[in-house]
Amino acid sequence: MWQGFARFARNRMALFGAAVLLCLLLLVVLTPVIYPDDPFKLAGPALQPPGGSFLLGTDTLGRDVAAEIAYGARTSLIVGVGATLAAIVIGAVAGGVAGYYRGMTETVLMRITEFFQTIPAFIFALLIVAILSPSVSSEIIAIAAVSWPSIARLVRGEFVSLGGREFVQACAGLGASDARIIFNHMLPNCASSIIAVGSLLIGTAILLEAGLAFLGLGDPNVMSWGLIISAGRAVLRSAWWICTFPGVAILLTVLGINLIGDGLNEALNPRLRER
Amino acid sequence: MVDHPPLNKISRRTALALPLGLAALSGTIFSNGFAKADEPVRGGTMVMIVQPEPSTLAHYAVTAGNIPPIATQIYEGLVTYDWDQNPQPNLATSWETAPDGKSITFKLREGVVFHNGKRFTSADVQFSVMEILKKYHPFAPLLLAELTGVDTPDEMTAVLRLANPAPYLMKGLAGRDLPIMCKSVFEGTQILQNASANKPIGTGPFKFGQWDRGQFVRLDRNDKYWKPGLPYLDHIIARFIPDAATRSAALETGEAHFAGYSAVNYADLARMKTNPILDTTMKGYEMTPALSVLELNAKHPPLDKKEVRQAIAYAIDRKVILRDVMYGYGKPATGPLSSLFKTVGFYTDDVRKYDVPDRLDIANKLLDGAGLPRGANGMRFGMHLEVNSFGEQWLRQAEYLKQALAIVGIDLTLRSEDTATWLRRVYTDYDYDINEPFLSQGVDPVYGLNKQYLTSQIRKGVTFVNDSFYANPEFDGILNEAMREQDHDKRAVLYKKAQQILAEDCPLVWLIDVQYVSVFNRKLRDHTTGPLGTQQAFERAWLET
Repeated sequence: MWQGFARFARNRMALFGAAVLLCLLLLVVLTPVIYPDDPFKLAGPALQPPGGSFLLGTDTLGRDVAAEIAYGARTSLIVGVGATLAAIVIGAVAGGVAGYYRGMTETVLMRITEFFQTIPAFIFALLIVAILSPSVSSEIIAIAAVSWPSIARLVRGEFVSLGGREFVQACAGLGASDARIIFNHMLPNCASSIIAVGSLLIGTAILLEAGLAFLGLGDPNVMSWGLIISAGRAVLRSAWWICTFPGVAILLTVLGINLIGDGLNEALNPRLRER
Repeated sequence: MVDHPPLNKISRRTALALPLGLAALSGTIFSNGFAKADEPVRGGTMVMIVQPEPSTLAHYAVTAGNIPPIATQIYEGLVTYDWDQNPQPNLATSWETAPDGKSITFKLREGVVFHNGKRFTSADVQFSVMEILKKYHPFAPLLLAELTGVDTPDEMTAVLRLANPAPYLMKGLAGRDLPIMCKSVFEGTQILQNASANKPIGTGPFKFGQWDRGQFVRLDRNDKYWKPGLPYLDHIIARFIPDAATRSAALETGEAHFAGYSAVNYADLARMKTNPILDTTMKGYEMTPALSVLELNAKHPPLDKKEVRQAIAYAIDRKVILRDVMYGYGKPATGPLSSLFKTVGFYTDDVRKYDVPDRLDIANKLLDGAGLPRGANGMRFGMHLEVNSFGEQWLRQAEYLKQALAIVGIDLTLRSEDTATWLRRVYTDYDYDINEPFLSQGVDPVYGLNKQYLTSQIRKGVTFVNDSFYANPEFDGILNEAMREQDHDKRAVLYKKAQQILAEDCPLVWLIDVQYVSVFNRKLRDHTTGPLGTQQAFERAWLET
């Protein structure tokens, strides 16, 4: 694994991605210090262009766009990481059980997984949020619900290929319990793939969250990048800065996370090592 | 967007018209042309934007703001209204209210024919009012509540018989509120399933032509219209463009001539005003009053205390909402009636005023006095605000309200749900604290005040009625008296008293007196000819060539 990280560090694009993510984390940590006030607070006159007393200008209600973006970053990360973790847990359990036990269990679990995969992800997420009524936790549930099938299929594939390997058969032969084999021996062996795919999922989750908030299905009490863009859309032609800066923030974040994901994939995937 | 020949034809024609017009300008027109430019010209096709597309044209059974701009070109009323909102002859040439106020006799116009060739008579009035509107129109329980029957002593006389005087009825006789349909089209059929629901047949200046769903409705000139020489236009096309930016672009490029009822985003209006081919008007909405308000659920403490409700009313700076949410269109609401009722003398601002300089101090004192001290975090109590789901301006307003109420120590949590869930929560389950609806007030105080504040209008499951549980027998008495009082000045005194009581009891918080805007192409003339604006016929509208 450590060799993997060394290989990761040699990948310049991945390092750039890591730098972007580090900046974002720093911003999230420092937000309460830089902007102690509520991001919804009416900080000054409406529609001030950037560069004046407000770094990135103000929106239609006179809120500081920079503060909104800083707080939005926190929401994006919470939802992105939270939804991905939930998706990994559900996906790993479903895929692991299917891949380990095979047979009827596998058939049932994989058909359920495929059923979820056939529903368009974004529309399904919209529906779940609408039913649960919009809040950060319902966004996490919705995004996790549409993200777990890819993890499940991945883990199942890995388990099927690991299942015939000697170390697994040795464990079984020594009388190890199913849970012990799954969690102590097989899952660690597919951790690298899960990390690589999971990191890409975070980017997708952040995009989904922005999309939900843009359509008014975000938590109205929590600042989010999608919310800022949807509020600024009406004045796009007269106040470009409201939509532009959160848009750039989404672009950089998702790009950064995808670069990290690609870097991890290359670094941890044995088949790509020689490149 | 491929196969609609009529529209293609139009845009080509408009595209041609411009260079031709310029060529004419360079020639002789400067010598005497401009004097003539105000003479109406026959012909041409007007394109108006209607937003959103109506789901039906059954104007007699459904009230939605997007139906009348089309339906009132086809269906006419007994009267129209002048700018002072006095009734003027239309399908009725004269009328007389009996001294006891219990009947109104209309003399009808000779020589009017429906689009299907049938002659208009008193039987059509009787059938329209008693068999269609009284039974199916959503406003009928209010507007026609006192109506017991229509007598037709002869073909050209219709007498409306009333159980009690209903002076407000004279305000609701235009085509928008009381359209007259053709008896022979509806008689013996299922009214709501009638074939003419979406192919309306009336007496108006335009006939129904074609409805291409998702695209447009085409209306054609009624060559047999009873007003000689009218209408001027050959066709009206009502176009449906779901995307706001495209609607604005259609006007800016001259493709559409008219957009009423704030079909254009308020945010775009400033830009459109600088466009040399466009102009805007706020006229034509004088009989379409509306208020944005906060409904406070008096069943949920501490909103049962008058002081708390008043404190909320004091805490809000209406000027901020007006400037930042409504883009300056409207004015701060002073009380339960729209200031548009000033024209007819029913509005008063001689009530408890909430928009005062020391409003925050007053709000804090009231809340202290109500036994609601600030806690450790500076907040006194928490409440939910249901976000109106009819567009994102309401989320902006909600975000502002949360900030404004936090200043006086009320911690609002916003809840946004889809329209059906929101309406059920508020009007059926009553599971809400504060709601931010938008209330149309109708042509007479009877509509807006009765349904919102009468104790009898606490009707579970009915939307946009009394859901704040306001119940004041004294106030009920005044409203019921005002409803039947025939003397205009006495009614005005009663309504003034009613407004004062409401402003003091503060069952709702009145925010903005809404102002709609029409955007039009300068080549389109005489489009807004009365207080009903886009909700009356365009028979005198004409296009400069």
